[in-house]
Amino acid sequence: MGNSESDNDLVAKALAGDRDAFGVLVERYAAQARRVARAVLGDPDDADDAAQDGFLSALVKLEQYDVRRPFGPWLMRIVANAATDRRRRRTVRRAEPLDTALVGGGPRPDAAAVRSELGDRLRSALAELPERRRTAVVLFDVEGYSHAEIAGILGIPEGTVRSEVFHARRRLRTLLADWKEQVR
Amino acid sequence: MKSEPSFDHRPDPELGAALRTALEPHGDQSAFVARVMAQYQNALDRATIPALDVLAAWSRPGIAVAAAALIAGFLFGRNVLMPAQTSTPAYDAAMAPVEGPGLAALVSAQDPPDASVVFTTLVDQR
Repeated sequence: MGNSESDNDLVAKALAGDRDAFGVLVERYAAQARRVARAVLGDPDDADDAAQDGFLSALVKLEQYDVRRPFGPWLMRIVANAATDRRRRRTVRRAEPLDTALVGGGPRPDAAAVRSELGDRLRSALAELPERRRTAVVLFDVEGYSHAEIAGILGIPEGTVRSEVFHARRRLRTLLADWKEQVR
Repeated sequence: MKSEPSFDHRPDPELGAALRTALEPHGDQSAFVARVMAQYQNALDRATIPALDVLAAWSRPGIAVAAAALIAGFLFGRNVLMPAQTSTPAYDAAMAPVEGPGLAALVSAQDPPDASVVFTTLVDQR
């Protein structure tokens, strides 16, 4: 099956019971779904579980998908909700909002892993942001969704999305600038 | 690093790339896809038994309807194939003249029968 098929064609085939078509959709959106889930949850294993939940939930709801709208934001909304549900369950279990130990920040034995250190810092900084804020900035700056699409994904007004992206960027850009100063 | 514009409509490629690297999933993507597809297959397998139950539930009223249709068809067919036989042997026997007042007198009488007549009829039938 060619990967050039449109999302809508693949959705139609998946609805007709074509397992491979669903597989292509999973493959196409796996990386994005895992990153968005990780933005919500922090922990990569939890994020993968949530992304998986999201894909299976999307499969169950596939008949509800409106083919006149883009598939990506629809799927990301389901993935983000699955991640949020998982975080809520985890919060109840652990009685803490986000385990920052899981998102890195510990000492690195290898001094050459400078880039990895930046990743740790960014993950820690993301973990300190409110969930909606970090999800919004990842959807905007990493995944390239528009403010309107993010508003649909997160179920909030577009103006709120702009505000969340703005505040998240201010924090993350400061961190990135500091890091660049350090490595010079 | 560019200066901070308020409500910038364009994605920041530098920040985006850094965040993308930071959020890059652990493990191989194909393993993740295989895992999702395995769960999909499990969900399909689990759905098989309830689906059969549903079909079985649907079949029960279907069997009842089919049985009713069969009986109706049999009765209709019998009437169409044997239209001349309007009376049954039991009816003929009941209406046959017997010694004494008889059943015919009983069923065709305008007034209620006398108890002695009924008794006599029963005795005669034996």
